[in-house]
Amino acid sequence: MAKGNEKKHRKSVSYAKWAYIFITPFFISYILFTLIPQFLTVYNSFFENYRNGLEQVGPNFVGLGNYIKLLTPDSSGTIDFLRYLGNSLAMWIAGAVPQFLIALLLAVLFTSSRLNLKGQGIAKTIIYMPNLIMASAFSMLVFSLFSNVGPVNKFLIDAGILKEYYNFFATKISVRTIIACMNFIMWFGNTTIVLMAGIMGIDQSLFESANLDGANSLHVFFDITLPLLMPILSYALITSMIGGIQMFDVPQVISNGKGTPNMTSTTVIMMLNNYLGISKNYGMSGALSVMLFIITGILGMLVYRSLARQYKD
Amino acid sequence: MSDVKLINIKKVYPFTESRKDQKENRKGNLQITKDGVVAVQEFNLDIADKEFIVLVGPSGCGKSTTLRMIAGLEEISSGELYIDGEYMNDVAPKDRDIAMVFQSYALYPHMTVYDNMAYSLKIKHTPKDEIDRKVREAAEILDITQYLKRKPKALSGGQRQRVAIGRAIVRNPKVLLMDEPLSNLDAKLRNQMRAEIIKLRKRIDTTFIYVTHDQTEAMTLGDRIVVMKDGFIQQIGTPQEVYDHPRNLFVSGFIGTPQMNYFDAKLIKENGKYAVVSDGYKTVLADEKQERMAAKGIEEQDVILGVRPDHIIIGEGGIKGKVDVSELMGPSCHLHMTVGDNDVIAIVPTEGKSIDYTNKEVSLTFNGSVCHVFSKEDQTNLEF
Amino acid sequence: MKNTNKKARFLLIISRILAYGFVIFLCFLCLFCFLLLILMASKSNSQMQGAFNFRWGGHFMENLYNAWNDFSINIPVGMVNSFIVAMSSAIITTYFSALTAYGIHVYNFKLKNVVFTFIMAIMMIPSQVSAVGFIQLAYKFGLTNKLWLLIIPSVAAPVVFFYMKQYLESVLPIEMVEAARIDGSNEFRIFNEIVLPIMKPAVAVQMIFSFVSSWNNYFMPALLLTKEKYKTVPIMIANLRSADYSKFDQGKVFMFILLAILPVMIVYTILSKSIIKGVTSGSVKG
Repeated sequence: MAKGNEKKHRKSVSYAKWAYIFITPFFISYILFTLIPQFLTVYNSFFENYRNGLEQVGPNFVGLGNYIKLLTPDSSGTIDFLRYLGNSLAMWIAGAVPQFLIALLLAVLFTSSRLNLKGQGIAKTIIYMPNLIMASAFSMLVFSLFSNVGPVNKFLIDAGILKEYYNFFATKISVRTIIACMNFIMWFGNTTIVLMAGIMGIDQSLFESANLDGANSLHVFFDITLPLLMPILSYALITSMIGGIQMFDVPQVISNGKGTPNMTSTTVIMMLNNYLGISKNYGMSGALSVMLFIITGILGMLVYRSLARQYKD
Repeated sequence: MSDVKLINIKKVYPFTESRKDQKENRKGNLQITKDGVVAVQEFNLDIADKEFIVLVGPSGCGKSTTLRMIAGLEEISSGELYIDGEYMNDVAPKDRDIAMVFQSYALYPHMTVYDNMAYSLKIKHTPKDEIDRKVREAAEILDITQYLKRKPKALSGGQRQRVAIGRAIVRNPKVLLMDEPLSNLDAKLRNQMRAEIIKLRKRIDTTFIYVTHDQTEAMTLGDRIVVMKDGFIQQIGTPQEVYDHPRNLFVSGFIGTPQMNYFDAKLIKENGKYAVVSDGYKTVLADEKQERMAAKGIEEQDVILGVRPDHIIIGEGGIKGKVDVSELMGPSCHLHMTVGDNDVIAIVPTEGKSIDYTNKEVSLTFNGSVCHVFSKEDQTNLEF
Repeated sequence: MKNTNKKARFLLIISRILAYGFVIFLCFLCLFCFLLLILMASKSNSQMQGAFNFRWGGHFMENLYNAWNDFSINIPVGMVNSFIVAMSSAIITTYFSALTAYGIHVYNFKLKNVVFTFIMAIMMIPSQVSAVGFIQLAYKFGLTNKLWLLIIPSVAAPVVFFYMKQYLESVLPIEMVEAARIDGSNEFRIFNEIVLPIMKPAVAVQMIFSFVSSWNNYFMPALLLTKEKYKTVPIMIANLRSADYSKFDQGKVFMFILLAILPVMIVYTILSKSIIKGVTSGSVKG
């Protein structure tokens, strides 16, 4: 009797040992390359630590000094951090609104059994493709196409629409439009496929029942599809917003890191990149990262809540 | 008047990418033509106003497809559908004045029971007080008034089913379609709901078209039942007709539980009278059967003889069999035996005695009025 | 009744036409820039100084040669570096995420729930938060321009882990592992020889996503890889932008861009079905 219990006890313990073995690489890597750097980032945020030319300033403890600097208006009365954050969000919204509206429309069209559109496989392959394009390469491409001596200008001049070249990158409105369009093209395919999966997860007989009840397409969309799609839709929206805050590659390459015109296309991550790359300002970049972490943390909470709502149903 | 007429209805699913998987899922032997898979064909049925019709058959026989064609959820490949004398083939489902209870109930999960039932009326812009009246009326009939404020996920299976029915009757439809509404319920609940549906029928003035694979439901609920197999109608009749006079082997085996017994036999004509001989046991057929067969000029031939388990009497000089298993059911005993290649069940009343028939050799007898004679070639009942 | 039917049929056809038109327009939008890219990469610099036209330039191979052998932007080296980093990251990330997911799925151990919740929580933290500390450490220990520093951290990838875990939940009954144990296999062999092959579809999808995301990665590599011979493709492309643009051979520029995105395009054309399936299943599970 005792021997039997002994055997059992040994078995369950030894297997658990394997679990720890298997998950150890993950955690070692995480601690070494992510957790420790994260703590270091926060630690750095309380110190003044940067390079001024060849001079190394700090590290000197300044407490919340970096944070205050981040949120203090400069001589012209603007708070750069908030301004660049606003740029990120503005450029994100400009692309996200058409992205989601069109993705929603496409998802509804593709999943409509009444319309029964053919060739969906090919269409999905094509619209998803821009999502995989190297953002810096795409940006370089767009820049070259729309440059003062690029094909777009040449075409417009030759066609008589313009008298001389138009600098697409000189006005805030045209730069933001270009960046918004790029983001749209890169992401609407992904969003469409995600929303399609959501709609196909809705019980088909609900649509048939609504059909019998007398609902036309609009009724069905607003009374049934949209409410039941809400969890996935809000998940996609919030993840998109988090991605929008992290916007870097496109505005960086398009404006060559300068945020032209007039710092209106500088995003908050470009600000981070400037601190890290150019002035090695670990202090300010640390504070900036912490601020961003807090903001995306709050947004992440909202994602978690929307998912929890979905699983409750 | 809400009579329904189906004339030569046919449904063909053409070969397309999406249907390829459906083809594999289909059981049974549906006819495959160059146009595609024929799910339903030669479907002719006249349903009278306020009649309760049941379409019954095994999976893949086409009963749900037919129901959906009546609803307008499937296109009719060929044939004509009339509801109340009007040609309905191209009419949108919402304009057909029908309501349907789905197998999965299809309740809108994000709306309350009240809103679920009110939805169709809301779309038609019915005034609020009228909606309220109608919803409460239907809720009262189905005994779900206390659930009106709840959402479907807070209800049990049986309650959800009532809500689904309530949603359908709120609109006072001309025809009420029901697609296997009881198949998702457990056995006890099923029996309860069956009785409820019979009660419901008395309170609501509509034509019912009901689909099920359960022959018990068909027999208890229907005014007339339509037995289907592989897309064809096998027989239409009242439950009694279909039970007493099955038109072919399939119907005889599908209706009635336990299943009808089959014996290899020979149909002979002796002195101008038909008789069946099996294993040396001869039974002269009843007079009405004689008339029918004579009228058709039926010849002597090898046949399949069908006799229901409760019509077999254990006696002398009949078909010999050895009992393998004896199931005591209370008032009767079910004897399972093998006769030739066939499994046979005989139901024997116990009459208070407890005789164990296991391994006993018994002799099966029956009289000429309970014999069903089926052609070995095409399996039709030789009487009809 | 018949009149409304004709009208309904007519409306259906019209809506179908509009829908197809809309979809085709969007597809065209997606392809336009890239078809234009290929076209521009075929023109010589002088051709581009002149008027613009849609004619094939015929200088494709010439531009290819020039771009490939360019003195200042060493694209071949860049592609090799990118390939090393992307391929290694893909393999390492999928293997270890599968391993970790397997560990959590199959074994019941004390910290199981804690560990799982922890990984779910860190999934939401954006990578930039650790960037500052990571960069600082890299510079402190003289680990800049080391490709392996970009590869090793991919051992811990919470999002890939989550995908693998979900997949395991749907395909791997624990009985299979127990049967293998009875057969005498040790745990490690069970994972490598039995479970991993079963996870092939998930592994394949995640390898592709991981490869693509690593190939396209710009922010971190740019901060760490400063020497020409270690730079990856995205860095080189961005350098194109900062160079004196007007002095560049335009045909070469477009060819550079084409070369940068070509590997991913090739992978995508071959494996698009699995990729799209991966997106669909990943999104349904959240």
